[in-house]
Amino acid sequence: MKTSLGRGRAVCSALVVIVIAAALTACSSSDDTSSNGAGGGTYTIWDPYPQFADDSEWVKLLRRCGTSAGVTVERTGYDTTDLVNKALLAAQQGNSPDVLIVDNPVISTLAEAGVLTTTEENKLDISAMEPNLLGAGQREGKTFGVPIGANTLALYYNKDLLAAAGVDVASIKDWPSLTAALAKVKAAGKKGITFSAIGTEEGTFQFLPWFWGAGAQLTALDSPQAVSALALWTGWLKEGYAPNSVINNTQTTSWQEFATGDYAFGENGTWQLANAKKLSFQYGIIPIPGSSGGTAPAPTGGEFVSIPVQNDSSRYPISRQLVSCLTSQDNLLTTDTTLSYVAPVAAVQDKQVAANAELKVWVDAVKVAKSRTGDNLGTKYPKISEALWNAMQAALSGAKTPQAALTAAQATAAAATK
Amino acid sequence: MNKGTQAPATISVRPRGEAATAASPASPGSSTRGVRGESGRWAAWAFLAPVALYLLAFYAYPLYRNVELSLRSYTVRSFVQGGAPFAGLDNYRTVLADPAFGPAMLHTVAFTVASLAFQFAIGMALAVFFHQHFPLSRTLRALFLVPWLLPMIVSASTWSWMLNSDAGVVNAALDAVGLDPVNWLTSPRWSLTSVIIANVWIGIPFNLVVLYSGLQSIPATMYEAAALDGVTGWQRFWRITFPLLRPVSAITLLLGLIYTLKVFDIIWIMTKGGPSQSSATLATWSYQLGFGSLLPKFGPGAAIGNLLIVIALIFGLIYIRIERRQQLR
Amino acid sequence: MTTSIRRNWWKTGAGVVLTALMLFPVYWMINVSFTRDRDMRASPPHLFPLHGTLEGYRVVLDMQLPYLGTSLLVGLGTAALTVVLAAPAGYALAKLRPAGGTVLSFVLLIAQMIPGIIMAMGFYAIYLNLGVLNTVPGLILADSTIAVPFGVLIFTAFMSGIPQELIQAAVVDGAGRLRTFWSVVLPVSRNSIMTVSLFAFLWAWSDFIFASTLDGGGDYQPITLGIYHYIGNNNQQWNAIMATAVVASIPATVLLVLAQRYIEAGVTAGAVKD
Repeated sequence: MKTSLGRGRAVCSALVVIVIAAALTACSSSDDTSSNGAGGGTYTIWDPYPQFADDSEWVKLLRRCGTSAGVTVERTGYDTTDLVNKALLAAQQGNSPDVLIVDNPVISTLAEAGVLTTTEENKLDISAMEPNLLGAGQREGKTFGVPIGANTLALYYNKDLLAAAGVDVASIKDWPSLTAALAKVKAAGKKGITFSAIGTEEGTFQFLPWFWGAGAQLTALDSPQAVSALALWTGWLKEGYAPNSVINNTQTTSWQEFATGDYAFGENGTWQLANAKKLSFQYGIIPIPGSSGGTAPAPTGGEFVSIPVQNDSSRYPISRQLVSCLTSQDNLLTTDTTLSYVAPVAAVQDKQVAANAELKVWVDAVKVAKSRTGDNLGTKYPKISEALWNAMQAALSGAKTPQAALTAAQATAAAATK
Repeated sequence: MNKGTQAPATISVRPRGEAATAASPASPGSSTRGVRGESGRWAAWAFLAPVALYLLAFYAYPLYRNVELSLRSYTVRSFVQGGAPFAGLDNYRTVLADPAFGPAMLHTVAFTVASLAFQFAIGMALAVFFHQHFPLSRTLRALFLVPWLLPMIVSASTWSWMLNSDAGVVNAALDAVGLDPVNWLTSPRWSLTSVIIANVWIGIPFNLVVLYSGLQSIPATMYEAAALDGVTGWQRFWRITFPLLRPVSAITLLLGLIYTLKVFDIIWIMTKGGPSQSSATLATWSYQLGFGSLLPKFGPGAAIGNLLIVIALIFGLIYIRIERRQQLR
Repeated sequence: MTTSIRRNWWKTGAGVVLTALMLFPVYWMINVSFTRDRDMRASPPHLFPLHGTLEGYRVVLDMQLPYLGTSLLVGLGTAALTVVLAAPAGYALAKLRPAGGTVLSFVLLIAQMIPGIIMAMGFYAIYLNLGVLNTVPGLILADSTIAVPFGVLIFTAFMSGIPQELIQAAVVDGAGRLRTFWSVVLPVSRNSIMTVSLFAFLWAWSDFIFASTLDGGGDYQPITLGIYHYIGNNNQQWNAIMATAVVASIPATVLLVLAQRYIEAGVTAGAVKD
């Protein structure tokens, strides 16, 4: 009895010590998320970059913009897949942030929900923005946000591996030549190509260059061109040119596969440029070829800055100032260099290329890129995209043939977007 | 103050024939009632008041919101702005008529039954094993709880990595023994099995802890008497341990059922319900509709959530019925 | 009780093997936490991080300690709150047998069925109006909803097993119901208190949904949100993510091992035979 009581006391005191330690460590994070700034009120900014901590360039930029507008900025970074729900929930309860930065296909959803203000309401100046990049933020002729930067997809390739396999990268102009190159690589005992075909928006994003490169349109998922694009991928899987893991790969895991050095090609985006520097082999970039030549139109990625609706419309002028500050030419250069994005303003693009010639390929790719919610697809796009990725998953896993999968997808998409 | 009573009144062995388990109904003629009267009832409710209020405040409102979400036809716009029209049981009809409902139901049943069976069996085996008090048994038992410490994203991601078709350690092990690699997460045939395996792994600690505590309550005198009668180990388990553990097993299985029906994040992180919905259960489908796509459909998502609650309710009622019959025996 | 030493050590050996099997995924997690980015998808996978990197740990130790502190605070707070709420209720349901007690037990069972995200959305509205959004006490309260129904069930089960004589003795001595509860029932229930605290702590520790919805913008965030620093919008830093999990598990494991003594006879009545 005595020993257990004594031991009990020991455990209790241990617990007390731990609690005090916990409280001290927690409190020692003197987390000054609200910055220095003048006493003009607090403005909240939500962004999908949780990887940027409070001492990062990005957050420092936000605070600088706040100071120059005479207010204190409170910034929160959320997981990007969660941000839509958070934004909707907050809007429902009247708790929207003053500035909201979200992934571009989401803008039309938020616009439809009435969460965002238009440029007419918030008087934002968008004249310098490239039109093809603005497309994702526009709906029924109104603009709901401005791009903070754009990214798109291209094919990274392993120079050393291709040289060893005897493949000349300049000869890859269309799909047959690409497949032939993959065959050569496999014959040399290496692996061909890796990409992401996961059952989420990322999968559709990666598939779209091939889809559009075959000449297919999102309004007709079962066209022969669309089937040929999906058949290209399923063919690669069957021949062993692409690994089975693509079915579950995110773009990150696909990049990790490419980084092992075993793969000749990896389809990935502008944002990997910083990681590309850490590769243990020589790499190069080619644009994704169209089915019979030319460059395939790739989808634009990248986030948009928007101003949500507030009960108190006197907040809009300051919010507008914050957004203008964020998207000013100088700040765009810093931001897009940090994010490894291409700037949405031509003048800044030139500056980016001047500073880093490697970016020319990407800038050119972004110039011909298409927005996913463009062509007035708006909120129809998510439903079409979901049908499309389901078709991809079915065909790649062997559950259905590409034709059957896409026919089913078209039926679902048409029914859902009536 | 003696803590060590000789024949402890436990969950299973009740010398005075009091109610056997937590959720069993109060038998009207129970001997404990007699002394107290009116004041007893008020005092009892005074003790219960905090929890009752707590239930009302924190569970009733979300439940009401969920029911309301399922009875109205919500678009993204009406979710934010309000004013969604009343839709009666339309959402439920849509869900039940959806071609995805059948497979999701099937997968839910398979997932739940397989998870419960394995979690319970392995938990029981481990509990019996650790009950034997060898050196280090306590520390090892504590270590078995470590899977519970991990945030779900970490455990599910770790399993995803281990089961990866090309770079996963499980396939590497299969290869080392000369077997063909299996596409654990990317083939419609194996995806459900993979998530079941991960779910069983996560569920073992809970079963272990609860069943072990149940084992602790079986008096040693029972085993001593059996040893005198010459009962062997296996028989000892089936004739003494298992029957005495029945109430604890019942509540473990019921709680396990409730928790397993709710499981969605393991499946979501590992396979997203795919490929081609081959590992989609009702819970993941509900999440997908409500929060997992770019264009949320709150109504049907909430409807499925409520269906799951109804299923759990049915099993809860079955459990109470069984307990009552057990008592009257 | 006179088993030979050799047989006991054989059992220990078997126990170690079983534990190792069970904890293999945890080992894998540790393995990944030391792996370089370029070896992440090596095929076949490296069983041991031969060309390891401490990058993940450096980043984590730099930044995650406050999150760890908050998680500890939230975990312990939830455990305390759960016991405070559930113990009296368990006592009432077990010993005092009020009318409607069964209904309450049943409701508690079913209350656990409500999906976490629905609960979180409901709380968001309530918290926003009360002004406790993005606070630690608010998160503690929300996390307790995971554990309280279960806690009540455990306490009811255990306290039913307290011999009636103990309570009668206190009543005879003139103790009121509250006094009886405090001085007689609670000390005897120490094991189940530790069990419930443990479950509550573990559930609060690994909770993500409530933390994300209700404390997403707070100054003090738990470690489950801290991990998202490495889950960027386009890139995930897996060795840092796993390193966070490893670092986060250490204090919790220590607490576990300290507390496991008390879980022995947790659920049912208390003859600690050992």
